Amino acid sequence: MARPIRARHLIVAVLAFGLLGAACSDDDDDPAASDEGTDQTDQAAGDDGGDEPSGDGLLAEVRDRGTLQCGVNDAVPGFGVVDDNGDFTGFDIDFCKVIAAAVLGDAEAVEYVPLVAEQRFTSLAAGEIDVLVRNTTRTASRDGTEGAAFAATTFYDGQGMMVTAESGITGLDDMDGATVCVLSGTTTEQNLATVFNARSLSFEPLSFDEVDQIREAILQGQCDGWTSDRSQLAGLRSAWPDSEGGPDGLVIFDDIISKEPLGPAVRDGDDEWFDAVNWAVMSTIIAEELGITSENVTEQLESEDPAVSGFLGQPTGEDEAVIDPGLGLEPDFAVTVITEVGNYAEIFDRNVGPDTPLGLERGLNALWNADPPGLLYAPPYR
Amino acid sequence: MTATTLPVTPARRPPPWRDARVLRVAAQVAVVAVIVGVLGYLYDNLITNLRIRGISTDFDFLDRPATIEIAYSDFRASQPVREAIRVGIKNTLLVAAVGIPLTTVLGTVVGLARLSTNLLVRSAAGLYVETLRNLPPLLVIVFVNSAVFLELPRIGDPIDVGGFLVLSNRELAAASPVAGDQLAAYALVVAVALVVSIVVWRRRTRASEVTGAPHHRVIWAGLPLLLGVVGGYLLLDAPVTLSHPAAVGRGISGGVAMSIGYGAVVTGLVLYTSSHVAEIVRGSVQAIDRGQTEAAEAIGLSSAQRLRFVVLPQAFRIAVPPMINQFLNLTKNSSLAIAVGYAELAAITLVLISQANPAPQMVLLLMTIYLVISIVISIVANVVNRHLQLVER
Repeated sequence: MARPIRARHLIVAVLAFGLLGAACSDDDDDPAASDEGTDQTDQAAGDDGGDEPSGDGLLAEVRDRGTLQCGVNDAVPGFGVVDDNGDFTGFDIDFCKVIAAAVLGDAEAVEYVPLVAEQRFTSLAAGEIDVLVRNTTRTASRDGTEGAAFAATTFYDGQGMMVTAESGITGLDDMDGATVCVLSGTTTEQNLATVFNARSLSFEPLSFDEVDQIREAILQGQCDGWTSDRSQLAGLRSAWPDSEGGPDGLVIFDDIISKEPLGPAVRDGDDEWFDAVNWAVMSTIIAEELGITSENVTEQLESEDPAVSGFLGQPTGEDEAVIDPGLGLEPDFAVTVITEVGNYAEIFDRNVGPDTPLGLERGLNALWNADPPGLLYAPPYR
Repeated sequence: MTATTLPVTPARRPPPWRDARVLRVAAQVAVVAVIVGVLGYLYDNLITNLRIRGISTDFDFLDRPATIEIAYSDFRASQPVREAIRVGIKNTLLVAAVGIPLTTVLGTVVGLARLSTNLLVRSAAGLYVETLRNLPPLLVIVFVNSAVFLELPRIGDPIDVGGFLVLSNRELAAASPVAGDQLAAYALVVAVALVVSIVVWRRRTRASEVTGAPHHRVIWAGLPLLLGVVGGYLLLDAPVTLSHPAAVGRGISGGVAMSIGYGAVVTGLVLYTSSHVAEIVRGSVQAIDRGQTEAAEAIGLSSAQRLRFVVLPQAFRIAVPPMINQFLNLTKNSSLAIAVGYAELAAITLVLISQANPAPQMVLLLMTIYLVISIVISIVANVVNRHLQLVER
């Protein structure tokens, strides 16, 4: 038997539809996500050659927001780690500051987002971070399928293997049947399989998603070896507890298992943002090439050398013209970068250089015209 | 005399916008339309965005080589992604297959212990339940791994129990039977002995019911079985041998071995889930009417018989549905295994996603597989439940 519709049934129905409607609308609190999610604006057409960034790219969005969201590591000493005061410090952290100084004019305007290896590219693709500076290797599939675009390489690294000194293992060929610890979701995991299969060695790969779990496994002897980028291994070795023999309790083999060029990564599809990040990073290399450091940058502002003054965005030449290559950055962004963070040599020496616990030599990371020469070569700023 | 009939107006339905039945149906159709519309919009949004980023929207990645190896399996890096997922499913099912029976047994024992009249037993069980129930399962697994399994001696010098058990902080191994040449013949002999012993059992039971004399059926049926098993083994030339585990180099060869990651996951999950099962069992036993226990006492059943014949059959009826829930929780909690380096399905899926396989499809696959496993477990448990239920007249 049909009952009459009561007023409260109607009210409930209206409320339900209202809630449904509210849930469907875009969330305004998350500009990055909503921007990439529903508005299909063509971000590739961002660069219009002028000083003004086009209104709808990531560069403009970061400027509006006022902070740079940087995806980083929080567990590798020397590259990305949280120090005793709770601040992020490291080689990659300094490059986050470089990008923030170039884009926002303030090296401290960074929000650090610590990520595990598996989350890196999903976070980047989803727009949770603007740039990923997290000892990430540039590979073909990351450029392609993962939808990332890699800026200039900041650290030429290679994959290595580390064992405890007391295990008595002498080299890779001595590791038949070994249990090897590796971080899951990294290129090192793939290279491990390739290298051991090429040498016809059997092995058991134990993948963990956090460095601390691997440290525990090595301490207890569950794993015979630890494979990762040699710079990471150096960082971890430098922090090895003294009760286990300190840094001398670990041995890193000389075998280089693979090439690992590390550099910052941004999302595909935003050329303007990519150029800004790329040249911010390269400015540190150019600064070292021109001999500009954070100590002498104020004097260099008065330099007669047109290369230096042009690079620093000062009036150059007879017509006192200021070089503006149309990257969407301030003409004197390099001054802010060098003053607040430093040139490449200062960043390297401060975090991973010979005087730090990691004690790395420049090696491949020296300038192309250094002695001995390395691989750092920046295009001219013109 | 004719009766006067009043004109009767036929009942008229109100107009559709006031007709309750029409409105009810219309409202349901509208809600369904809105839900379908929202889901369709979200799906379309996802596909468009994936296409813009150049991430694939199909399932072709399943045929791509996985490029990673999986510990303690025969999986090679050149094999396709679908095989890696299959290894993951097998590892998850291994955890569930061993974990669920152990949880049931341990949980029932602890639950009943909590009802004991003995103060020590009751308190011990109470302590066990209250501690483990209130800890997150991940912590239990990690604790068991670091405090128990990693503290075992290293592979160079493991604990060796008479060649039957080898324990190290990398792998645990036990001796396992290995088929010899005469296995088929031996299986036949044992099968025949089994059939004979079943026949003897039933005959003795039936005879005892008729005459009332004690049946001694265990001894009578056990004899032919024993004869078949032992005699067959001795007469045939070693149809089944034992493979003894031994630490060789950096691993264990021989016997059946499991990684400590697997051991930690199973132990941690069994400890955690059994505390919940204990409470379920305790609750279901306490839910049985006191009259049942009193009546059982009155007809002279001992407390063990009371438990076995009166209380537990009724209690299990109540206990099985929430226990199914705990079994499903155990299966899903196996996804915490990546914390101890055990390569089960969720861990392998996450690794494959970060090796350039598209995340939406992989996570959808992961969810579907867990759904299927859970549905199968509930179906099986429901069949058991229906079998256990008392038929009420």
